Amino acid sequence: MSEVQRRKYSQEEKTAIFDGEFMPHIDSMYNFAFRLTFDEDDAKDLVQDTYMKAFRFINSFEQGTNAKAWLFRILKNSFINEYRKKSKQPAKVDYQEVETFYNSDDVDYQSTTDLRAESVKDMLGDEISNALNALAVDFRTVIILADLEGFTYEEMAKILDIPIGTVRSRLHRARNLLKDQLKEYAQSMGYNTDEEEED
Amino acid sequence: MEINNQASGERKLQCDDVNRCFQLLESILDGEMGENGKEVLKEKLAKCQPCFEHFHLEQAIRDVLKNKCTKQPVPNELADSIRQMIKESK
Repeated sequence: MSEVQRRKYSQEEKTAIFDGEFMPHIDSMYNFAFRLTFDEDDAKDLVQDTYMKAFRFINSFEQGTNAKAWLFRILKNSFINEYRKKSKQPAKVDYQEVETFYNSDDVDYQSTTDLRAESVKDMLGDEISNALNALAVDFRTVIILADLEGFTYEEMAKILDIPIGTVRSRLHRARNLLKDQLKEYAQSMGYNTDEEEED
Repeated sequence: MEINNQASGERKLQCDDVNRCFQLLESILDGEMGENGKEVLKEKLAKCQPCFEHFHLEQAIRDVLKNKCTKQPVPNELADSIRQMIKESK
């Protein structure tokens, strides 16, 4: 994309933006990177790489716009373009592939009577975390962006370069897959999963 | 269609339009409906048992994700090493 009327920041401005607007997001960035790579060193590299790029292309960041979304977009692209190539871990599902298969906005909404809110609330962090990590990367990504980081559909659309309708439907599918995972945990833990209201 | 304005005990047990309702509820939970969402939500939860259950399940999932999956400890030296790399690149 060409940048129209890109202004140049002075060194002082660059440092101020970097320290004031970019660095405060390092915790979220690392969490995102770790959940994409499942490896501490890879996550560190990915975050470092993202910040280096952010600094290098700081002139294309418009002050006053959403720095966190801007950074997440760089991280996501770095992950797809570079990390994936050199990764030993084969990707379960390719982003592009998923794009083709799941670009439809039509989603069937169904009631999940066999997983209960109470069971979910009783689950441990590890169980939730494992369920999330078991999802293919594109589904995991939308859940991280929406539920862990609180991005809006519109911000997610920009971060992921997909239409808002696709964000909504992919998020819905991702949550359904997550529910399937949680259901398995609930059943293996002997939680009550398929009974009607008790009282 | 039965009309049911009573409190929680008498929610209808079948949702007339699961697709529309659940999508709406999920948009509300995701904060996409603004103030408009609140009124719709109140009505749905009061009148429809499947909507009520779906909403609470979806909310519980969002809550545990938010509270239990965001605490990955960041390596201490990461911020410093980034600053160092930036300094060197200038």
